[in-house]
Amino acid sequence: MSRPSPTPIYTLRGAAAPLNTLHFSCQEGSQPLLFSGSGKGSVHVWNLDSRRAERVLDGHSGSSVIWVSTLQSTGALLSQGRDMRVCLWDLSEGRAEVSDSLWTGSVGFCQCSSLETGQGAWLLACPGEQTEEIKIIAFPSKKVMCSLLPDAKLGMVMCLRLWQPDAGPGPLLLAGYEDGSLLLWDVSQRRALSRASSTCPEPLMCLAFDPQRMRGVSGSSDNNLRPWALDENRNLQLQDPVALVNPGVSQLCIRGDGKLLASAGWDHRVRVFGWKRLRPLAVLQHHTDMVLGVAFSDHRDPRRRLLAAASKDQRISLWSIYNEGPDTG
Amino acid sequence: MTQISNPKIAFAYLRPACVLLTREPTVTNVETLGGQLRELDDATLQQLQEYVLFPLRFILKLPAGSQHRERLVQSVVEAMTHVLETTCVRSWETLRDLLSELCLCLSSPADPGRPAPGVSEELKGAVLRCLSALLHAAYGDTLLRLYEPAMLPGLGAAISLLLALGEQERSREVQLAALRVVQTLGVQCDCSRGEEEHVTLGEQEQWAVGNAMASFLPGITVALTRVVTGDPRHGHAVTVSAVKVWYRTVALVMDDAQLRVIVPGETGPAGLGRVGELVVLRSPDWVKGTAGRLGVLLKRLLSCTVAHLHWRVRLETVELADHLLAHCSGSLGGECMGPLLEALVGAVNDEEPRVRKRCEAALREASERGRGGASASHATFADVLSENLHGLATSLPRVLRAADDHKKLSVLNVFLGYLKLLGPLIDRLLTSAAHLQRISKALMQVLELDVRDVRIVEERSSSSAAMRTACGSVSEDPLAGHAQRKYFLYFRDEKILSVLMEICRMLGYYGNTYLLVDHFLDLYRESSVYRKQAAMVLNETIKGAAGVGVAMWEYTSERNWNLTTVIQDHELNSNIWQLCIQLEGVACGALTLGRAFRPLLMTSLYAVLDKAGDEALLVSQAALACACGVAGACGYTSLRHLIADNSDYLLNDVSLNLHRLPQNPQAPRVLSVVLAHSDPSLLPLVGDIVQDVLLALDLSYDHTAALFCSVLHSLMKALVRWFPPSLDNPERPPSGRGESSGAEPEDMTALDVRQFLLDYSRQKELAEVAPAEEEEEEEEEGPDLKKELPAHIIITKEVLDIVELCVCILREREDELLPMVHNCWPALLRRLTDDDPLAVLRGFQVLCTLGEACGDFLRSRVSKEVLPRLGSSLTRQAPVSARAGLVYTHTLAYKLQLAVLQGLGALCLRLQLGEADLDAVCDACLPYLSCRQPINLQEACLSVFRHLIQVDPDAFWLTLSQLHCPSPYAPPHPHLQPLQLGRTGLTRDQYTHNLDRLLRDAFGSLVPRPPGLLGDG
Repeated sequence: MSRPSPTPIYTLRGAAAPLNTLHFSCQEGSQPLLFSGSGKGSVHVWNLDSRRAERVLDGHSGSSVIWVSTLQSTGALLSQGRDMRVCLWDLSEGRAEVSDSLWTGSVGFCQCSSLETGQGAWLLACPGEQTEEIKIIAFPSKKVMCSLLPDAKLGMVMCLRLWQPDAGPGPLLLAGYEDGSLLLWDVSQRRALSRASSTCPEPLMCLAFDPQRMRGVSGSSDNNLRPWALDENRNLQLQDPVALVNPGVSQLCIRGDGKLLASAGWDHRVRVFGWKRLRPLAVLQHHTDMVLGVAFSDHRDPRRRLLAAASKDQRISLWSIYNEGPDTG
Repeated sequence: MTQISNPKIAFAYLRPACVLLTREPTVTNVETLGGQLRELDDATLQQLQEYVLFPLRFILKLPAGSQHRERLVQSVVEAMTHVLETTCVRSWETLRDLLSELCLCLSSPADPGRPAPGVSEELKGAVLRCLSALLHAAYGDTLLRLYEPAMLPGLGAAISLLLALGEQERSREVQLAALRVVQTLGVQCDCSRGEEEHVTLGEQEQWAVGNAMASFLPGITVALTRVVTGDPRHGHAVTVSAVKVWYRTVALVMDDAQLRVIVPGETGPAGLGRVGELVVLRSPDWVKGTAGRLGVLLKRLLSCTVAHLHWRVRLETVELADHLLAHCSGSLGGECMGPLLEALVGAVNDEEPRVRKRCEAALREASERGRGGASASHATFADVLSENLHGLATSLPRVLRAADDHKKLSVLNVFLGYLKLLGPLIDRLLTSAAHLQRISKALMQVLELDVRDVRIVEERSSSSAAMRTACGSVSEDPLAGHAQRKYFLYFRDEKILSVLMEICRMLGYYGNTYLLVDHFLDLYRESSVYRKQAAMVLNETIKGAAGVGVAMWEYTSERNWNLTTVIQDHELNSNIWQLCIQLEGVACGALTLGRAFRPLLMTSLYAVLDKAGDEALLVSQAALACACGVAGACGYTSLRHLIADNSDYLLNDVSLNLHRLPQNPQAPRVLSVVLAHSDPSLLPLVGDIVQDVLLALDLSYDHTAALFCSVLHSLMKALVRWFPPSLDNPERPPSGRGESSGAEPEDMTALDVRQFLLDYSRQKELAEVAPAEEEEEEEEEGPDLKKELPAHIIITKEVLDIVELCVCILREREDELLPMVHNCWPALLRRLTDDDPLAVLRGFQVLCTLGEACGDFLRSRVSKEVLPRLGSSLTRQAPVSARAGLVYTHTLAYKLQLAVLQGLGALCLRLQLGEADLDAVCDACLPYLSCRQPINLQEACLSVFRHLIQVDPDAFWLTLSQLHCPSPYAPPHPHLQPLQLGRTGLTRDQYTHNLDRLLRDAFGSLVPRPPGLLGDG
C-alpha cells in the first residue's frame, strides 16, 4: 500500500522573487538558520525555529544571488551574485555588513565552492573571466593561488566542487563543463588528473560528491542522473545512468550521512534517492515552478534534519523525511 | 472544720465505729465510719489505712444473701473509695486482695470473669470507682507485681469482667467507667488527676507491663472492637473511650521500642504450672501473627469510625492512627499501616476543622517520619503508601460505579491524600509500570464521559459567521471563562470532578512529566474508548506541571494532538467531546508554557481556528474559548492581535489545506478570517496564497465556488482597507504614469493587484460563464431548487462585488485597469443582458463603477451592447410601473428600473456618449417623467435628464421644450420665423409637471428661452 504523498512541514514564503540557492546552518548553540539567495539579489536569513525571515541582506545590487554558504570556523556568510561579486558577510552580534568582497569577473551561472583550511583561512574555487577558467583564491589574503584552464575546448565551466582528500597533499577540485565532461583537478599541481567525458552532449548542470565513498553524481539538462566514482588512481569511472521521468536537474545534494540524494527538478519536483544504489524513494510534489535548489540540514539532532527546496515559484518548502523524526504526514 | 492530724486521737476516734461495724454490719454503721473518715487528714488516714480497711473488707467477705446486702456493699465500697483516694497502697497483699475482692462484688460466683446478674448500676459504678482509686493509689513497685506471671489469672479475670461490663452494660456511665479501669490497668490512664498520681514506668517496667498485657491483647481488642462496631446507641463517648483503650493497649503491647529489646532465647519462667500457659512470649512470630489479627480488627474498627457522624469519634480515629503509626509502625506491618494511613488521609478533608487540623499535623509527622526516618522504615512507609494507592486505584472504578456520591468523594479524597503524602515520591512510584498502569486505568474508567446527550449534535453554529463576530469583538474577550459542562457516566457531583482534576494535577506536579505524557498519549492512541479521558487527564497533568520547568516534549505531543484533531470526523457526540477536550488541552498547554508557547502556534493555531468554524456549536465555542485563552497566555492583547501576528503560520496551513480541500473544508474560512484581521505587512504573502486559492478553485469548482468567492471578497475588502483609494489627493497624477514615481506601498499594490487580477480575470470568466450554463440546467431540473436563492446567483453577486472592489483599487492605474476591464467585459455583459434581474441589478451597479473609473474606454461597448437592451427593457417596463400599485415598489423589476435610472445619467455623462445614444436614452426615459410613475422613479428619471442636459444642454432644451412649452416664444426679430414647438400652451398632461421642473431647474428661468440664444441676447 502506498502512503499518501508527503506534504512539506512548512513553506517559507514572502521572498517575493525566485529562489536560486539554499544553505543550512544549524550549529550547536545557535538558532538553526537557513539562508536563501533570491533572483532579486537578496539573501534571506530564515530562522527555522520561528520559520520567519529574520533578516534580508541586500549586497548584490539587485543581481541574482546564485550561491550562499557559511564558513564553519568564523560563522561568516558567503554569497555569490551575478553582479560578478562574491561577498563575505559578518553576521555576528546582529551585524549585517559586507566585510569583504571579491570580483570574479564571471558572467556565468557557475556556483563557487569553498574549502576551509584552517581557522579563518579558506580557499574559494570560482569561475574566472574566461569562460573555461577556474580560479582558486586563498582567503583572507585574496591571493589567486592558481588559475585552471583545461587543455581541450570544453566550453563554459558549469559547476565546481572543492575538497580535501584524506591522503594526498593538496585539495582536489571537480569541475563540470558545458560540453558535459567532468574534470578532476589537482589544485596544488595545477593539472587535470582525470576526465570523464560524458556521452551526453548536454551541459553538466550540477554535481554532488561524497568524499567518504569517493562517489559522485552529476545532473544535466537531459533526463539522466550520471553517477561516477573515483578509483584509487584518481580516475573518474562513469557508472550506469539513472533515468528520470522529466529532463532537467538544477541541483543535487547528498545528505551528510551519505544515505540520501535529492535532486531539484525543472519539472517542479524534488526527487529523493537512496544514495547507495540510487534507488528512487520519493517524489516531492509541491512547487508550481522549477525547483532551483535543494539542501539538507546539518542539524545535530537527526530528527530535526530537514530537506529544503527552493523554487522559482518564490517559495521554499521544508520537508521532514527519512529522518527518524515523528511522522508529520 | 479542722481535721484530726494526730494518729492516736484518730485511732481512738475511729475505733468504736470499726468495732461496731464488725459486729453489726449495717449501712448506718458504714456510713458513720465513712463520715468519721472524712474528718482525718491524709497523713493520718494513711497510717490507719490498714486498720480502717479491715472492717470494710470484712463485710465484703460476708456470705451473700442478706437482705440489704447490696446497699451495704455499695456504702462499704464508697467508704473504701474515699480511703483509697486519699492514701497510697504500699502493700502488695492489700492491692492483690482488694482487687480480687472488689471484682468479686460484681462477678458471678460461678465465673469470676463474668458479671453477676442483677447487680445494680449504682453498685457497679461505686465498685468501678473504687477499682480506679485502688489502681491509682498503688505504689509503682507494688503495682508492677500485678503484672508478674503468677498474677495473670487474676488480672485476666478482672479484665474480662471489666470488658464484659464495658460491652454489655446498659448504663453509659458504667460502661465508661469500666473502660477507664481497663485503661488504668494497662497503665495508660490519662485521667485528670495529674502526673504525680500516675506511675511513670521505666523501660524495663514498661516491658513487663506490655508482656503481661500481651496475654490479654486478643481479648481486649476483640471486645473493644465489638463495642465500637456494636449498637451505636450507646453514644459517642463510649466509642471514643473504647477506641482510645484499643489503641493504647495495642501501642503498649506492640511498641516497637519494647519489641526491639526482647531477649532472644528467653523462655517463660518455669514452675508456673498451668499459669505458664498464659504467659505470652512476644517473639517475632507472635508479633507477626498478632499483627495480622489486629489488622482484621483494625479494619473493622475503622470501617465504623472513619465516617462516624460524631466528630469526636473521627478525631479519636485520627489519634489512633497517629499513635499507632508513631509507636507501632514496625511491628504492625503493612497490613495495619495501610488502613491506618488511609484513615488518616481520609480525614484530611474532614468537615470539622479540629479533626482537620489534628489530621494535618499527624500527616505531617507521618510523612516526616516516613521520609526522614531510618532508611528501612522509610522504605516501608513509602511501600505502604504506594501499596495502598495501588489497592485504592484498583477498587476505585468499582467504588465509583456502585457507591453513593458521599462515599465516592471520601474515597477520592483518600486517593488525593496519598498523593499529597507521597509528594516527591510520586515520581519514583510512577516509574513502576504496575502502579502507573493501575492509576491510569482507574482514571480512565472513572472519567468516562456520558455522551448520550443528543442535543450536542443538534446544536449547530452558524460557522463562519460566529467566527467572524467572535474575532471582531474579542477585545472584551466574550468567551473567557466559558467552559462547557461535562457529564460523566459515574458521577454528577462537581466536587468529585474537581477532586479528580486535582489528583491529575498532583500527578503532573510531582511526577515525571515526560513519563506521564508519554504514557497517557499511549493510552490515547491505544483505544478510542480511552481517548477522551486520556486527553482530559493530560490536560490537567499539564496544568499541574505549570510550576515545574516544562520542556520541548510539549512540541511533539502538541503536534500529535492537532493532527488527530484535524482528522477527526464529526459524526458522534463522543468525537465532539473529544475535540472539546483537546481544544481545552491546547489552551492548558498555552497556559503552562506562556510565551514559550509561541513557537507552537505555528502548528496549533490553525487547527484551533479551523475548529472555530466547526459546525457543532460545542466545538466552535470550545475552539473560540481556546483561541482566546491562547491569545492571553501568549501575551497577545486580543484574538485579533494573535491572528495578525501569526498570519504567516496560518497561511502556511491554509495553503497546504487548500490542496486537500475535501478533507479541510474550513481552510478558506480561516483564510477569510486571517485576511480580515491582518494588515498590509501581510501583502508579500497574499499574492502567493491567492495562487493557491485560484488553483484550488479551479480544481474543485462545483462545490466550492461560493466559499472561494467569499474568500476573494474578503481579500478585496482587505486590499481596499489597506490601500484606500486616494481620490481626494490632488497631487496624484491621474493615470498610470505616476507608477514609477509612486510611493513604495502603492507600487506594491499595483504589482500585487495586477498579478492577482491576471489570475482573477481567468477565474472570473469561469465563475461568470460556468454558472450561466449551469443555471439553464438547473432551471430545467425542477422547482425544488427554487426555495432558496439559487447558489449561482449568490456567487454571481459575490463575483460582481469583487469586481467592483477591484475596480476601486485599480482606478488610479489605468494601464492595469483597462486590460482587465477588457477581459471582464464579455462576462459582465452576460450579467447585464440575459440573466436574473438580481444579477442585472448588481451588474449595472458594477457597470456604473466601471464607467466611473474607465470613462470613454467603455463608450462604444456600452452604446453598442448595453444601451439598446437597457433602453428596450426600460421602455417595456414603463407602462407596467405606471399602472402598478404600491406593492410594485417591492418587486425586483422596480428595483432594477430604479437602479438603472439612478445610474444611467452619470454613466452617460462619464462615457461622453454620442448624440444617437443620448437620444436613445432620452426616449427610453421619457415615459418615466409621467406623474403616474412611482415617485422615486420620477425622481431618478429627473436625475437622468439633468445629467443629459449637462452633456448637451441645447439639444435637450429643444427636446424637452418640444414636449412641453409653458408659453410660446416670440421671435426677437420679425425676420425670424416664429418658433414651432410641439405642444405650446396650457394643455397639461401627465408629463407637464416634471418637464416644468426640469426646464425651470436646468435653464433657470420660468420664461423659456432657448439657451443657445442667451449669449446673443
